[in-house]
Amino acid sequence: MGTLARLGLAAVWLVSGALKISDPGQTYIAVQAFDVLPDGLVRPVAIGMPLVELALGLFLLAGFVTRWVSVLSVLMLAVLIAAIAQSWARGLSIDCGCFGGGGQIAADQTQYPQEIARDLGFALLGVWLIVRPRTWLSVDGWLGNSQAPADDDYVGIAEGNE
Amino acid sequence: MGGAERNARKRKQQQTASRSVAQARGVAGGDKKKVVAITVAVVVLAALVIGGVLWTTSSKDSTEGKVIGAESSATVAPDVVQKRDGAVVVVGKPEAKKTVDIYADFLCPICKQFEEKFNGQIFEQVNNGTLQVRYHMLPMLNQRSDPPGYSLDSANASLAAADAGKFLAFHDALFKDQPEEGGRGFDKAQLIKLGQDVGITDPAFAMAVNGGAYEQQIQDAYKKISTDPALQQDFGNGPGFGTPTVSANGQVVKLEADWVQKVVG
Repeated sequence: MGTLARLGLAAVWLVSGALKISDPGQTYIAVQAFDVLPDGLVRPVAIGMPLVELALGLFLLAGFVTRWVSVLSVLMLAVLIAAIAQSWARGLSIDCGCFGGGGQIAADQTQYPQEIARDLGFALLGVWLIVRPRTWLSVDGWLGNSQAPADDDYVGIAEGNE
Repeated sequence: MGGAERNARKRKQQQTASRSVAQARGVAGGDKKKVVAITVAVVVLAALVIGGVLWTTSSKDSTEGKVIGAESSATVAPDVVQKRDGAVVVVGKPEAKKTVDIYADFLCPICKQFEEKFNGQIFEQVNNGTLQVRYHMLPMLNQRSDPPGYSLDSANASLAAADAGKFLAFHDALFKDQPEEGGRGFDKAQLIKLGQDVGITDPAFAMAVNGGAYEQQIQDAYKKISTDPALQQDFGNGPGFGTPTVSANGQVVKLEADWVQKVVG
């Protein structure tokens, strides 16, 4: 289960990051449409966000420092959910552009509840991995002290173990 | 030196020795793996960040240094007049009886599709002397380029091109090589170069482009047009103004396949 959660969340980040980075113009429009950032920050965020997503995806795929990457994933999802929620609350008509696309759309095409529910689901995968970061086929396992993926006390190498 | 003291020192040495052996073994085993893993992770991260930033920047700046193609698609009869009237460009033969107003933005992708689809039909009627077209180039998507401002710069330049009688060639070329939304548009130097390439020789053109000669008129016209109830349509968010919009006889024209025929009657 933990392994599935890890690979699933990795796939989510890799796909969404790849779709965003493949169309930088659209990503810029999508970030702008949330209408929360000052003009000067729209481009840096539009460049940085796909890269952060890809990095999270790669680390999860490899199973390296899984717990910390999961914490970052959940934080990132929390920010995205907050961004979607604020545009819903303000009555903007936008597509979140979570998996590419994005920008302004017709009011009857918004899908705020679905988008938030989906991101909450992803966040649950992340929470699972924070609680039980040890999984099969991971770099953490390769590095770790025990072979079995059931070591709940393992806290990852970023914290050190001495 | 007493015996007890010597023993204590010896014990201490043994402890130190065994500790360093353990440390050495650790470096050879788990720690070495960690070094490998961390090194790989850092290299991958660095490659991702550098590659990603370079790729995104080059993609959004793909219009940099580009020469906008000046070849015109529609053939326009020689006695078709194209002249500027305020923030509007009027195109047609003097005897044309029917008039349409076209509201568009040079950055708007649907406006580009509109041009591709209907330009041929429109110019058949214009060349026949049956139709006069009033072009309103608007800065609706002025914030949608990075850096912002392409919509207004291009609209202003197209009015300056109209002063030189070259609006249509300029207009067609800008739609044909339309920059992507969210990316860099064309700068003023590129717009001026296009003007020269479509045959504008008057130095007033470059001055009007650089100085933004018609920006204020365009902004004022846009304000009026975007709030005109007669030009509003429901795009899904309730009545509002969008581009492209076509109007004839004071009413919005539905952009069906044969709208040009219907307008001409």
